[in-house]
Amino acid sequence: MADRRRINGPGGSTLPPVYDDTELDAVSLRQRAPDAIRPLYLKTGVTPSASGSAYLEIEPREGKHGSGMKLACTVHGPRSLPRSAPFSPYMVLSTHVKFAPFATKQRRGYLRDSSEKDLGTLLETALRGAMIADRWPKSGVDVVVTIIEGESTRQDAVERRVEEWDAMNVLGGCITVASAAIADAGIDCVDTVSGGVAALVADKDGGELSMVLDPVALEHESVLAACCVAYLPNRDEVTNLWFRGQLPSTGTHNYQTLVSKAVQASKGVHGLISASLSEVIENSQA
Amino acid sequence: MAQQTLLSPAELAYLHSSLSLSPPIRPDGRTSKQFRPLTAETGILPGTNGSARVCLADGTEAIVGVKAEIEKTADPLGDDGERYREYVKSASGVGGGDADEDRREARGEWLEMTVEIPGLRDDDAGTVFLAELLREALLADGELARKLWINRRFHWRLYLDILLISPPLSYPLPLLSLTTHLALLATRLPRLKSEGDEDPMFDDDWEAAPFLYPRQGAAAGSRPSITLLVVAVGDSILFDPSKEELAVADSALAVSLCEVRRERGQGSMEVDSGRELRLVAMRTIDPPSRLTPPGVPSTANLAASGTADVPLQQKQQQTADEAPQEGVWKAPLGGTPFAVLDSIIQAVLEKGGVADEVLDGLEGVDLT
Amino acid sequence: MKTYQTVTKEHQSSAQGRHNSIVHKQASSLSLNSSHGQNSGALLPPSDSSPRKRPPYSQAMPITILNPQPSTPAPRRPRAVDIDMDVASDSDSDSEMGGAAVQGDVQMQDDESVDEDGDLDEEEADARDQILTPGTVVTSNPQWMRGHGTYVPPSTTNITSSLAGTLTRTNKLLSVRPLRARYNPEIGDLVVGRIVEVQAKRWRVDVAAAQLAILQISAINLPGGILRKRTETDELQIRSFFAEGDLLVAEVQQLHQDGAASLHTRSLKYGKLRNGVFVAVGGTGGGGGVVRSKRQLWTMETANGGGKIDVLLGVNGYIWISKHLESDVAAEAAGINRMEESVSSQIYSSQNNHIDVPTMREIARCRSVILALVENGIKVDEDTVTRGYLEAVEFGRESAEDDIYLGGERGQRLAAALSGR
Repeated sequence: MADRRRINGPGGSTLPPVYDDTELDAVSLRQRAPDAIRPLYLKTGVTPSASGSAYLEIEPREGKHGSGMKLACTVHGPRSLPRSAPFSPYMVLSTHVKFAPFATKQRRGYLRDSSEKDLGTLLETALRGAMIADRWPKSGVDVVVTIIEGESTRQDAVERRVEEWDAMNVLGGCITVASAAIADAGIDCVDTVSGGVAALVADKDGGELSMVLDPVALEHESVLAACCVAYLPNRDEVTNLWFRGQLPSTGTHNYQTLVSKAVQASKGVHGLISASLSEVIENSQA
Repeated sequence: MAQQTLLSPAELAYLHSSLSLSPPIRPDGRTSKQFRPLTAETGILPGTNGSARVCLADGTEAIVGVKAEIEKTADPLGDDGERYREYVKSASGVGGGDADEDRREARGEWLEMTVEIPGLRDDDAGTVFLAELLREALLADGELARKLWINRRFHWRLYLDILLISPPLSYPLPLLSLTTHLALLATRLPRLKSEGDEDPMFDDDWEAAPFLYPRQGAAAGSRPSITLLVVAVGDSILFDPSKEELAVADSALAVSLCEVRRERGQGSMEVDSGRELRLVAMRTIDPPSRLTPPGVPSTANLAASGTADVPLQQKQQQTADEAPQEGVWKAPLGGTPFAVLDSIIQAVLEKGGVADEVLDGLEGVDLT
Repeated sequence: MKTYQTVTKEHQSSAQGRHNSIVHKQASSLSLNSSHGQNSGALLPPSDSSPRKRPPYSQAMPITILNPQPSTPAPRRPRAVDIDMDVASDSDSDSEMGGAAVQGDVQMQDDESVDEDGDLDEEEADARDQILTPGTVVTSNPQWMRGHGTYVPPSTTNITSSLAGTLTRTNKLLSVRPLRARYNPEIGDLVVGRIVEVQAKRWRVDVAAAQLAILQISAINLPGGILRKRTETDELQIRSFFAEGDLLVAEVQQLHQDGAASLHTRSLKYGKLRNGVFVAVGGTGGGGGVVRSKRQLWTMETANGGGKIDVLLGVNGYIWISKHLESDVAAEAAGINRMEESVSSQIYSSQNNHIDVPTMREIARCRSVILALVENGIKVDEDTVTRGYLEAVEFGRESAEDDIYLGGERGQRLAAALSGR
């Protein structure tokens, strides 16, 4: 997907700086219980000019170099489709996921690259199942998620290529923040969709496999498989399922348990969305 | 997702009800697990490292060419990386077995994949999604990237270019995946003559070039993954859906799996036909059914009632009452229940199930 | 890097000759497929206990992977004449092979005509299946008139073909029928179309032609009486008659200068389609596809307990197969006024009637017959569909599961059975 419209400098020829920190192999191990998710901060209505908006922040990891993920989502619409667009009996949903150029260690360009487009499509799938699109014929909704800060930090991810697993966490965050923003915009949904991630990880000592909720790839020796779901808690359905990795053929760790762990994570997140939305309502009534 | 298929509500309702039957009646008469017949061949492009072509009877045709180039492995630590690593080693006192450690440092980005679908922009979100999906499935087992490792300084960069010859008549995922699988099986890389970390030198005899995925012997490990598109309509699970079937699907799932041969390390004499299927990736595909026009029950149809002045109130009442009526199409809402997910995966993975048969079929294609 | 460059060259040259021997191991076993039937019914995959002596292919296979066919011309397609210098010679050549040269009369050599398709109309039966290519001079004799598919280059009187196709002579009119072309609308054609766009007072309809056809709101039957005047309310609720995606059957009423067709549905035979399935096949020309014939719409009895089905072959290659509604007949008997009332309540409905499973099954069988006909280059008309259907019913009896899929090798068998008579 070459950028045809402008000439950028050669990609990949530069390398971001690496800081020679004291503890080089300081893999900050997971302190949380395996079935605990990181604390989240979610606030809706942060962008007055948008129809709906939300901001999600995940608590940074312990240690001085940790940074959590920060996501902002704006929803524009429902608004009438452009004249040239064909008739649609439904609301036309379009999603954009974009990393801020400074969100990751390696700077991102302004144009969306293939991983961002891929995330956008996954997010669209997750949201479309939840929205009652026929309530809003002939109108369009744009959902824009910006990742202001990604999870990886300075010396992280230098040698251990963990970005690929981070994509699932990013998608989980995107689903949650977009769901809150859609609710804020007052668009009908069958249920509040929320994202949850679970992974099968191996830890350094013992090599014991375990399943954890809301995994951070850096906290573990290796990630074997991960799963991200967009879950509708009241209907007990998934609108999006993204699974990747290898599960051992024997033992109790099969995909069903992994999916149910991810669902468990998203249930936790769902509680947060409801709490945050009711908080807004209380504030407005007060 | 992909291109929208325009179907009338009456057609959608008919298709949905006939596909929900047990056994389902598919519009072209196939059974629920039957694929459309394919024509497949490999090694069609002598200028590539590996190639394959698969045609469907309706004329849809995909060609995959694999090209390999040598590339210097960029050190994430820059030019000083070597020194830095030495320093780390001396500081932490960990040494030895370093080469093995490095060997694992294969990266997924060494595989570059493009999908070209006529009529769609190459940066179209649907095309990107398709390419990412296939790429993810191929890399998920980690084997492919490891095979591209030459030494600590060099690696192969594999370009996998998928070309559809005509605009697809259905969602082309299974077609592309099977073609890619065959092309990778037919891929050969020149035999390495140099040793260690020196500049790579290769045997210039093409006949001696080993296959990327060795055919037999103890080395026969994994195989490239295949991705199957499975849709659920009512209680029916359908494989290789046509566009009409996809248009009424309640949910669609792309299931990628790879085959792991067990005979590894068991001695080369033992030829174990029992393969182990392993789920490596799975993604929900947005079913286009969510964007289909809804049907109007005859009772609520303004035009059908003959008079133009049906009270608006009554109409609203009808739409609000969302109880499904027989023969009236309604786009599915919500997600996929877990029971459906489970039955899809079961149908794919079960012993002697569809994936098994598809792999058997692919095995029968001669590799040149 | 340099070393690899040479490797690549070697690789290319040595690989030159290695790609053409693609043989499929199980090619012979594929023919067994039909006799064993496909897996259906309980949808059980072949169990491991099944005899594995033969490759698993011959059992009920979910997937059939064939080896490429050697490049023979497609069956039952008119074969192009061998390239001969004489064909391209100038107009007054009268050689044996030069079928394209016409002197005074259209005379073609029988020995060169190939592969009687049997799908030519009577009027053109004298014109042989001689393939003309664009630029071929048909005649320079000015007594002929040029028709479709021909042109006369400036400052000559040569009638020259502008298409690849067969020559048709109608009295003094010479025209070239293309081997394959998009549907070209003609007044009076019965077409099946799909609404693609709704405008203020009209619909634009896809009829597989070069232009979208137009259906005016004034050209449809409004509910509540055939002669009711169109009102503004009708225009406002235009989507309640036809919306995007709806299928309809209509007649070509008028042709415009730009080749677009206007349709009308002002007959009870026409209108919105429901209770069935759609299939699109190629339009005119070539071996396959729908041809204009006396009857484009007929009702068929079905086997295996299915009810009657209607088959509607649009001249444009769009086909609709649906359950036959008996009420139509009753209404027809009741006289024209009653008919209006009984039909109007359903004419724009998008709700399907109840269709029983055997009928659905036979509809699917009929659809797969049509697909098989097209795939094997046989024209689609009442005769071929009816006979193909009966043949397919026989095929279905061969296997316990009553397989209705007619793709691949089974379709070829069906085609062979039909053409063999």
